[in-house]
Amino acid sequence: MTPHPPAPEPDDDVLRRQIRRHATRHAAPEALRAGLRTQLALAEARQATPPATATHALARPPWPWTAGLLGAGAALGLACALWLPLQRSDTGGPVTLADATLVQAHVQALRAGPLTQVLSTDRHTVKPWFQGRLSFAPTVVDLASDGFPLLGGRISTLQGQTLAVLTYTRDRHIISLFIEPGSTGLPLQQQAVRGFHLVHWGDGAMSYWAVSDLAAGELARFAQRWSAQAAAQ
Amino acid sequence: MNRQVFEARVLPHLDAGYNLARWLLRDVQAAEDAVQEAALRAFRHAHTLHDGDARPWWLAIVRNTCFTALARRRQGRLNHDEVDFDEVEFEATLASGQAAATDPAAQLQRTHTRQRIDAAIAALSPPLREVILLRELEDLDYAAIAAITGVPIGTVMSRLSRARARLRSALARDHLGD
Repeated sequence: MTPHPPAPEPDDDVLRRQIRRHATRHAAPEALRAGLRTQLALAEARQATPPATATHALARPPWPWTAGLLGAGAALGLACALWLPLQRSDTGGPVTLADATLVQAHVQALRAGPLTQVLSTDRHTVKPWFQGRLSFAPTVVDLASDGFPLLGGRISTLQGQTLAVLTYTRDRHIISLFIEPGSTGLPLQQQAVRGFHLVHWGDGAMSYWAVSDLAAGELARFAQRWSAQAAAQ
Repeated sequence: MNRQVFEARVLPHLDAGYNLARWLLRDVQAAEDAVQEAALRAFRHAHTLHDGDARPWWLAIVRNTCFTALARRRQGRLNHDEVDFDEVEFEATLASGQAAATDPAAQLQRTHTRQRIDAAIAALSPPLREVILLRELEDLDYAAIAAITGVPIGTVMSRLSRARARLRSALARDHLGD
């Protein structure tokens, strides 16, 4: 803090060399890079084609939610919107309120975020994040080798229940996997809601809902791979 | 511009943008948020990116996002009394850094030098810090720095000269030789 005589005027080059050699260069974390690519993909999807349909519950108008990201869902979505209240699922059961709520939560996360509150570098960064945030410890698996890389996780409160949500990606599609404690063993059940697909299952400890606009077969494959990997852990 | 083209042109400069944001905001989370916000903004305005090097264009967006964040952090309070070089902070950063230095002996001098230089750059006011970073770490010329920071070239030169004088005097106190 005491004043010092100015340094003997060295060349700017000396200072420059010192700075270049010693100053810390911060490299962007991998998770930032990965998260950015997802955000850009979502941004691109949002600014693509204008909406072909709207449902009061989901779409706040200027959001073109049928575009790009929701791709194939658009035509189906229009059909479903006209047909909604009594729509029957693929398995023949009625669409429950919970299913529509899950789809709404999925779309809300895509539209307004946060899609992830913790970004994944691998499952070991995501699983510990849930500690202290939930009264249960969800299983976390990364399915990158199956083509469904884990993006991250978040917490979602639906109808008073706190759920763990894992986010996966497949091409430009996003999968939200909702995890709630408590279930009986339940085989995979597939449903469709307004162009979105849901796969629901239980492993005796937890209940799972995978929600995405991904093709039904792909989402079923995701659910199969996920439950197989979780069982192997 | 589609996303693939945008990513191919801009993402190679992600490290440069992140480094600038880290140095300006001096916080990991704030820097990540700013870079993410800047990238989405850049993508929305990708039509303003012309041929040639995308780096100055990208750094300008990052820089503006960071200064907006800094202003928000100060809650709109203007910093008329902002000093060129924050002595108190410089000493405090050095003190905390030296206490934590437990590196092997061979690394010690280098680490020590790094700490001093990092602390000195960090103690510069943001307008001086950014010209030093853009000039010395990003190796941009005066014209590019003027375009990025939105000030005349003469201002860039005077800020650089002030920043260098501050850094020299901070570093000279420690008889830093190399």
